[in-house]
Amino acid sequence: CAALRSGGGGNDVHWCFSQVKGAIDDDVAEADIISTVEFNHSGELLATGDKGGRVVIFQQETENKSQSQWRSEYNVYSTFQSHEPEFDYLKSLEIEEKINKIRWLPQKNAAQFLLSTNDKTIKLWKISERDKRPEGYNLKEEDGRYRDAATITTLRVPVFRPMDLMVEASPRRVFANAHTYHINSISVNSDNETYLSADDLRINLWHLEITDRSFNIVDIKPANMEELTEVITAAEFHPHQCNTFVYSSSKGTIRLCDMRASALCDKHSKLFEEPEDPSNRSFFSEIISSISDVKFSHNGRYMMTRDYLSVKIWDLNMENRPVETYQVHEYLRSKLCSLYENDCIFDKFECCWNGNDSVVMTGSYNNFFRMLDRSQRRDVTLEASRESCKPRQVLKPRRVCAGGKRKKDEISVDSLDFNKKILHTAWHPQENIIAVATTNNLYIFQEKVN
Amino acid sequence: MDVEAKRIMALSISKLYSLRTQRGGLCLHRSLLLSMTMRAARDIYHTAQLLRDAEEEQVVPCAPDAAIEEPMEISKDSPQTLTPKEVAMKHQEPKETVEDDKENQCASERHSRKRRSKTAIEPDFLPLKKAKMDTDEEKQHLQGEVLRTNNGNSCRQAETLTAFPTNRAVVAC
Repeated sequence: CAALRSGGGGNDVHWCFSQVKGAIDDDVAEADIISTVEFNHSGELLATGDKGGRVVIFQQETENKSQSQWRSEYNVYSTFQSHEPEFDYLKSLEIEEKINKIRWLPQKNAAQFLLSTNDKTIKLWKISERDKRPEGYNLKEEDGRYRDAATITTLRVPVFRPMDLMVEASPRRVFANAHTYHINSISVNSDNETYLSADDLRINLWHLEITDRSFNIVDIKPANMEELTEVITAAEFHPHQCNTFVYSSSKGTIRLCDMRASALCDKHSKLFEEPEDPSNRSFFSEIISSISDVKFSHNGRYMMTRDYLSVKIWDLNMENRPVETYQVHEYLRSKLCSLYENDCIFDKFECCWNGNDSVVMTGSYNNFFRMLDRSQRRDVTLEASRESCKPRQVLKPRRVCAGGKRKKDEISVDSLDFNKKILHTAWHPQENIIAVATTNNLYIFQEKVN
Repeated sequence: MDVEAKRIMALSISKLYSLRTQRGGLCLHRSLLLSMTMRAARDIYHTAQLLRDAEEEQVVPCAPDAAIEEPMEISKDSPQTLTPKEVAMKHQEPKETVEDDKENQCASERHSRKRRSKTAIEPDFLPLKKAKMDTDEEKQHLQGEVLRTNNGNSCRQAETLTAFPTNRAVVAC
């Protein structure tokens, strides 16, 4: 277990408030609850999905990039309804429109593509810009009405003239009817041709061009459902090796699979599992060991897992234990029973790497989020709050008092607001810009520059 | 410990029930975690319950009779305190008795079947079916808990007692 000293100073990054998106009022409409956040590969675009099935894409302004080092702001680029609520008549079940995940495809041409998924259906969206339109048709007026053929005496060639920028989102593919259980992950392969989708019991491999079939590559459904002991909680392709992917389970294990080994990857190539600490055993040990997110590092040598109380970094070459373990909010360990009562123990926190894999970030309660610096062995707790919303205001480190005498500026565990949870965070692939989603607001923080 | 276990068991059951009415259909992951927690709590609770019953049995006044002294000596070899294995076996027995008690079970099963068709739960979510059967059992048990006093006069208590092999009863005395 890596020991950490908390504190600032030295070469630490100081985070400043940049922007906040979303409604200010406390009365949150359920449809506005943010359910996923993702930067694209260049970091220029930032997509969010919400419970209402909408996708909002923000674009970083490039105009004043040359001015000072303060990075430009993100403004709304496109908003569209990705998924609608559906009803499965056969099973009499409602299918939620909530966007579970968004994944960007690497850019190949002028248009941008992303995959968005709800519980059952994945869609490929094309986002394209239109800033010119053809004018001077022979048979039509400018407003579209057909001209009277008798009045046409000359021919002209229509020309493109500039127009106000319009961003269009259109669904190019719909990948449906392949999942019996709820989809929890999608991951685009490094080959840029295929992607995987994972539900509780199965993982399917798709070709981006083909919607009427997919290959099942993992199936952990037991013949007798009564024997079910674990489910798949997340899955991801390796960033460089197109034959490798991992999936995590509700039992705290991660399996690495090689698609070259066999068509059905039920036998893992590697199994990552840390033996349980017997002194920590409780009624809730099973629940808190369930992995809620797994992410490969950008360099492909490590992967990070998030369970309820900790973040673990695994070296792909070492299966028997993680190389680093960070406690996110250990002070909650004694509160597990209450957290079980209010269902917070089932919250699925995500985690993310920074561009050079030196720092990892994850969310917590009370709108706190944690930055865990691997190289400097430091950690800091920050808060996304409307109180610290002055432009370029530096975020002050927060401290939670687990017990005993509460120091000034510390907050006691019992004062934490468990309704304010940060489940989704994203880090710009190249710069120190982070997007942190509270219930219905998106905060953007940037590194302080002197 | 068993008070806590019972509370967690009851909590888990109510959460499992409320899962059924949630929008978006059954969440397999959560059902699984809830079932596991419920079962862990139930096991602890039952163990504690049986230990308590065994203690009560020993406490029940049974005047040492000269007539039965010989049998007592013979059975003195068997342990006075229940080993975990014995407890586990006892745990099985009351369950079997309840399952045999088809008359009482049928009503609840029929009721639950009716409820199930209304919400049209996907048939192959069997762990939930099992949990449901267990939960019906638990519900009965818990209801029984609420209704009966602790003097061992309820029929459920009797079921438990009749399940005991006779030699143990002798040991207890």
